[in-house]
Amino acid sequence: MNTMAFSSWNGKIMDNRTTGKGAGKAKKSAEGAFPAQLDGQSFAALMGWNGLVIVDPKADVVALTLAYLKEAKGLSCGECSVCMIGIDRVLDILKKMAAGKGDQHDLGEIEEIVKGVMANGKCNFGRAAALTPVLDAVKYFKADFLALPNAEKKFMEHKDYRSAVTAPCMNACPAALDIPGYIELIRNNKFKESLDLVRDRCILPGVIGRSCTHICEDACVRKDMDGSLAIRLLKRSAADQDLQGGASALTTPKVEKKEKIAIVGAGPAGLAAAYHLRRMGYQVTIFEALPKAGGMAAVGIPDYRLPKDILNHEVDLIKRMGVEIRFNSPVELLNWPDLQKEGYAAAFLAVGAHVGTKIGCRGEEIASDDVVQGAEFLRNLSLGKQAVPVNKVVIIGGGNVALDCARNCIRLGYKHVEIVYRRSPAEMPGSKEEIGEAIHENVKFTYLTAPVGIVRKVGKVAGIECMKMKLGEPDASGRKRPVPIKGSEFTLKTDMVIAATGQKPDLALLTDKEKVDMTTTWGTIKTDPRSCSTAVGGIFAGGDCVSGPATLIEALNMGNKAAKSIDAYLQGKTFADDLIFEGIDVSQQRDMGFVPPTKTGEVKFLEVDERLKGFAEVEGGFNAAAAIKEAQRCLRCYRLMVWQ
Amino acid sequence: MVNISINGQKIRAKEGANVLQEAKDLRIDIPTLCYHNDLTTFGACRLCTVEVKTDGAWKLAASCQTEVAEGMEVLTDSDKVKESRKLAAALLYYKYPGTQAIRDVAEKLGVEVVPTETDSRDCILCGLCTRTCHEIVRADALKFQDRGLGRSLEEPKIEFISPACIGCGSCAYVCSTGFVRMEAVDGKRMIWDKVFKMAVCNNCGRYFAPVEQLEFISRTTGVPVSNLMTCVSCR
Ligand SMILES: Cc1cc2nc3c(=O)[nH]c(=O)nc-3n(C[C@H](O)[C@H](O)[C@H](O)COP(=O)(O)OP(=O)(O)OC[C@H]3O[C@@H](n4cnc5c(N)ncnc54)[C@H](O)[C@@H]3O)c2cc1C
Ligand code: FES
Repeated sequence: MNTMAFSSWNGKIMDNRTTGKGAGKAKKSAEGAFPAQLDGQSFAALMGWNGLVIVDPKADVVALTLAYLKEAKGLSCGECSVCMIGIDRVLDILKKMAAGKGDQHDLGEIEEIVKGVMANGKCNFGRAAALTPVLDAVKYFKADFLALPNAEKKFMEHKDYRSAVTAPCMNACPAALDIPGYIELIRNNKFKESLDLVRDRCILPGVIGRSCTHICEDACVRKDMDGSLAIRLLKRSAADQDLQGGASALTTPKVEKKEKIAIVGAGPAGLAAAYHLRRMGYQVTIFEALPKAGGMAAVGIPDYRLPKDILNHEVDLIKRMGVEIRFNSPVELLNWPDLQKEGYAAAFLAVGAHVGTKIGCRGEEIASDDVVQGAEFLRNLSLGKQAVPVNKVVIIGGGNVALDCARNCIRLGYKHVEIVYRRSPAEMPGSKEEIGEAIHENVKFTYLTAPVGIVRKVGKVAGIECMKMKLGEPDASGRKRPVPIKGSEFTLKTDMVIAATGQKPDLALLTDKEKVDMTTTWGTIKTDPRSCSTAVGGIFAGGDCVSGPATLIEALNMGNKAAKSIDAYLQGKTFADDLIFEGIDVSQQRDMGFVPPTKTGEVKFLEVDERLKGFAEVEGGFNAAAAIKEAQRCLRCYRLMVWQ
Repeated sequence: MVNISINGQKIRAKEGANVLQEAKDLRIDIPTLCYHNDLTTFGACRLCTVEVKTDGAWKLAASCQTEVAEGMEVLTDSDKVKESRKLAAALLYYKYPGTQAIRDVAEKLGVEVVPTETDSRDCILCGLCTRTCHEIVRADALKFQDRGLGRSLEEPKIEFISPACIGCGSCAYVCSTGFVRMEAVDGKRMIWDKVFKMAVCNNCGRYFAPVEQLEFISRTTGVPVSNLMTCVSCR
């Protein structure tokens, strides 16, 4: 049973108080209202953008309102005439009331101001969050406000409230970037400040600005109105402007710490951890197996999506802060006692997931260079190995690796490139944009088809035997399971097969004992999801080697977190993670008001015949003016929550 | 062209035009403090509100930021509109009681304004100067410094980037409250906190423009400074 005393969350009033307005009424269930716990912890009272939730009937609503208003004031940008001044005015009225000079009329005035700001605020913070819950407080807790004069001393008392801020886009972003914040800085023509804000949580802004899967854009409040903000491209513009303007350096640490930290793998996770630890003053060494840094961003994502000078520049900045990267230095066995003897105080494993998984068909076990793993194919290309184009190549898989292989093959001069995927287009994990571009570039797609055997003639691949599939019940991933159609076998002629059916981490560096303690049944490293710590004290892990193949921004996020967590570990503090808004629908808000429609900014794409001449970047970016214009579309949907 | 109606009057408006401009063309009085015909709209003062009918419901909208659309219905004088403008004006007056431009609008919109001796000419953050400097002058010497998550700024304000300023005075000209002041004494111009040396016209010998402005024009147009040393009246 939910024991809430009062909730006005999302405008739904639930009043279980035994005194006051709802006295004597039957207790209503709080179903669909606010979760009883916040991030796994109970709370006494909470005020958030979408209402007021009181668990403990003795909670001080007036003090809570004040605490909320103080936080709201800091978030109000102050650009429009109603929001910030409205907050100031309400605070002043409350102060007047506390001094015993207020009455009923003052509450009426507060109500009028709140409604005015909600209807006429410039941004969505003003309309949805700045003052909205105050309306519920003065309406349903009138007596508490009118009793203020007797409580003047209490009113001024400092109370311990916690607060958290998010936005629909921020909440969707794995790294919780302050998206409205950096967009606002772009809007105000402050590209450098914007970039600095991005770098706080995303140290590869140019890379992410090009290759992020941008789930934030799906959460954008404008999505169903006139189209999401081009959040990814705005981030790219901050990075591009900085590069064009001479490239700024990263801040170097203010104090040096003597503790040494070893990081294994210079992918996004390793780099992010290195940056933050170095910024805190730690001595950081990254051991990297390859001659290049960037992990899959260096040896996976192709040049036409991510020009390598962008990545290299961003890696260089991290190196220039004093992070040492030892290239061509694979850690074959992670000998933790030895590393400790060498003076390392903590280690962070970020080895990614580089081993291709098998297709699971006949003839695959025979080693030959016309049947290759997708990730390996891409890695070889990136490391400068010459590919020998053949007439026809079949790529098995439906993810980004398959698409990247296919679009690379087209550019390398393979005549016919065909992707074979066992489910339908709707289930395809590869990004919709990528699929569209691949079709543009003449990649052929065959759906609902699964390979069963590789056909060889005189030792050379001649074809691949396949079966037709139909879709059955959804599987654990929620996607419909492909079911073979009996008797539908056929052979697809091909000279080469690329298997892009997934990757898993290579954990040969762990000892057998560590493998038992530290790994999951999926062959990934087991960690505490918040602190990135493993079963072995001092060893942390993050990125694809923990999550399995995921995304750049998730890897960066784990690097960010691991750095904080390692710092807490070394300083003997408890690690405090950001609040997770679990169970709270951050897209919800009361009336949105009218949003004048504007068009989303568009960028140029390279013509197909130009693309196929080489590996030039396909997608263009915003120039400064276009970025500022797009940034003006941001509604700034900050959501604030204050609780006790 | 699109068909819209303003207060019941049917008109044809140019595509992409904003409702405020269309209403102004019909000589309908809509109060504004942050609008200028030659600049992008900013929607800061919240005084230009109108009611717009969308999806069958009337909603408040800042007319300067609302583009006309086929079939759009607009009300510029409804009770809701008046109420909303009055509240915005009352808040502005609450914050800037000594600024004449604000007192005038507030009074006009029905806010009770008490007499005062002060003439404080506050910056009301309308953004006219920043937009002029960025969009027209292209010097980018003025930028908004606003608050937000993780930024600890007590009062939002306009940041003056001294090295970028060319002393053209456009911001003082466009300022709606007289906050930006420009003064001239003995061949010098003072604006914000910067002092500019004025150039003398080769022809009439009068001071006519800051040297830095001429240098800026020369840099952006490629015309040598020596060719720019004549004032407008003598050209
Ligand atoms: C082809 C391809 C395309 C992709 N496209 C996108 C995309 O568009 N957008 C997106 O968000 N994500 C994309 N991803 C996923 C993304 O690249 C990864 O999720 C991300 O790079 C994971 O980062 P990581 O730091 O965990 O590991 P990685 O990037 O894999 O880096 C791990 C590093 O560790 C090194 N290493 C491994 N073992 C050792 C060892 N024993 N000793 C020393 N060093 C070692 C590796 O050489 C590597 O440099 C793509 C992945 C692939 C394969
Ligand atoms: S003129 Fe429209 S908001 Fe100021």
